[in-house]
Amino acid sequence: MLKGLLVDLVPYGKAFLENDHEWENGIARFWSNLGECPIVSRAQVEARHQEWFESNESYLGVPFGVQTKDGIPLGYFGINWMVPHCRSVMVGAVINDPDYWGGGYGTDALLLLMDYAFDWLDMRKVWLGTMSLNERVMRQMEKVGFTLEVRQREAVYAAGEWHDSLLYGLLRDEWPGRAALIERFGLQARPE
Amino acid sequence: MIEGHLVDLVPFEDDFAIHLAAWMNEEAWFRTMIYDRREPHTENDVKKYIEKMEKNKRGALFGYQTKNGDPIGGVIYDYQGDRVWKADVMSFAGDTRYEGTDEQFDGLLMLIRYCFETRNLYRLEGAALAFDTVKIEQFQRAGFTHEGTLRQHIRWGGDYVAVEMFGLLHREWPGYDSMIEALGLQSSAIEPKPKPEKLEKKD
Repeated sequence: MLKGLLVDLVPYGKAFLENDHEWENGIARFWSNLGECPIVSRAQVEARHQEWFESNESYLGVPFGVQTKDGIPLGYFGINWMVPHCRSVMVGAVINDPDYWGGGYGTDALLLLMDYAFDWLDMRKVWLGTMSLNERVMRQMEKVGFTLEVRQREAVYAAGEWHDSLLYGLLRDEWPGRAALIERFGLQARPE
Repeated sequence: MIEGHLVDLVPFEDDFAIHLAAWMNEEAWFRTMIYDRREPHTENDVKKYIEKMEKNKRGALFGYQTKNGDPIGGVIYDYQGDRVWKADVMSFAGDTRYEGTDEQFDGLLMLIRYCFETRNLYRLEGAALAFDTVKIEQFQRAGFTHEGTLRQHIRWGGDYVAVEMFGLLHREWPGYDSMIEALGLQSSAIEPKPKPEKLEKKD
């Protein structure tokens, strides 16, 4: 478990898998899946879980569930793709309940994940993608110190319009460390 | 076969498959497959790769050859989206004598033609290592826009190098015939390779 101030990163186990049906049909997926609005049955979600469990393909990712300090499952934060010889990881994230957006939960989880990538896995680059419609994530990337490296024109179709796909990167020597950013953002533990 | 101006697109089989055992261990391959770990590829790896690409529902590998049938290399589109019709495009000159020639460039144009004019894709994406000036010039000459740089992204020869990212929208593509008319591609008149031994035996 990776312990933060507002959230912990834990194995993506039963408590999270049980929520996946509701989450996959929820509004958060529109933002995390670049405009996709999945409408999926419980059986489809379970089949996907089964496929995941039984997959023999080498999977160079590290999935975490993110939960509040008193154990409420919120979503997924994880390494979606690792390229060990380039020492780079592409990360993905979603907080499913909109009530937990904007309260520092996502920032706390992201700092934990980046600390894990740099200080435990010894990576030297963290990168991720979003869409130009997602101003909340764009603000967060700038706040944490990511550089917008690539703007792929009209690579995303969301809500009936074309948007750009944005790729952000942060190098190890640009990473001030989790403690420094916690102090800069004034993140503090709070009673649940 | 789809016939082009200097090259034709053909199935990646027969002498292409034989050549690939050597091509997959050449630098041109690793410059194209930018995330490849530069491991030695055995004949079995080559066979598996071709089989994987033949089963690939989101992409394909084609061979491209000169008008007199000399295999040059491969062109690939991959990771086609199911909702957003875009794909990554890659091309390599396995026969390095063709590196930077108009035959190699025509291979890229033929791939773009196939993606836009046959598959009706909306957007194509290309990537090139920052020092790969041939590939960068080819993307730009084909009309791609430079959309950014993935900094220090790939481990290469003891250093970390950037990846230049390019994009081309369907509406920006004037059509293959217009491109050929505008660009005036010239044949390099390279002497064809001898046919691989296995094929000669078949004949």
